[in-house]
Amino acid sequence: MHEMSLMQGIFTIIEQTLARHQVDKVTKVRLQVGALTNAVPDSLQMCFAAFARGTKVEGAQLEIDLVPLLIECTACGQIRELEEPIFLCPNCNSPGVKILSGRELKVESLEVE
Amino acid sequence: MEIKVKLDVLSGNEELAAANRAKFDDVKLKVINIMGSPGAGKTTVLEKTIDLLKDRLKLGVIEGDIYTTKDADRIEQHGIPVTQINTGGACHLDAAMVAKALPELNLEELDLLIIENVGNLVCPVEFNLGEHLKIAVLSVIEGDDKPLKYPLIFRQSSAVILNKVDLLPFCEVSLENMKLDILSINPGIPIFEVSARTGEGLKDWADWLVTQR
Repeated sequence: MHEMSLMQGIFTIIEQTLARHQVDKVTKVRLQVGALTNAVPDSLQMCFAAFARGTKVEGAQLEIDLVPLLIECTACGQIRELEEPIFLCPNCNSPGVKILSGRELKVESLEVE
Repeated sequence: MEIKVKLDVLSGNEELAAANRAKFDDVKLKVINIMGSPGAGKTTVLEKTIDLLKDRLKLGVIEGDIYTTKDADRIEQHGIPVTQINTGGACHLDAAMVAKALPELNLEELDLLIIENVGNLVCPVEFNLGEHLKIAVLSVIEGDDKPLKYPLIFRQSSAVILNKVDLLPFCEVSLENMKLDILSINPGIPIFEVSARTGEGLKDWADWLVTQR
């Protein structure tokens, strides 16, 4: 349950961003979460509501964009999505795969009023 | 109005981890981060590793634990410097906690610093500490389904210690499947089959660790 720690990081970023803008209220926070992270969306939602209470973010929607686990095979050059964490190329079975996406944990944008 | 942000949630931790790493590299200190479930045998593996290496390397230990000093007390019996981090509820160590603990140790005098993380197969792996190597400890009796259920720790680690192999006759676990799954998550990763209780296999692990310097 490290989502509280992650949410601490998210709110630090939100506060730093709001300090640079004139904002009354945040209505939406967009987050990118990769498939190969240990962050659970439901837990993130719960922690978000807890952190938002009593701040400009209270009542805002947390929109989580899930980023698929994409690999590029260094042997055959194919780019494929991995549904399971089996790091062998689905095309040629080579173990030489490079992760292109799926490790994201990123605050993408804020919708504000 | 939309404000573009595009910042990594873990960037704060990453910055502190990089600062820790610079401190380690300044004094040519190798640092490993041992992770695994509660009860996997991390502390016992660590104790046996200390006994195998303490005449060859100057060792230091940082013990992560939620509340107690039980593990640090065990390590202290082996006559090497140890400092305790109590996370007070948090399920993992982070770079800030390690940075705070570092002044307790004389880093310049050490060759190898071993950080034992909080027992947990999920959370610690997301938080870099500045270490050079992550090591996963999994006991075979946890079940051969565990690597695929918790892939990230095996993907991010530089070696896996499969502990408690002396108990294999008493459980329905396929060591071969366990190893195949780990290798499919992280092809080529060294896997050490050990029993920290009997000492079996630990010399190979300790010798490998020395070559990683």
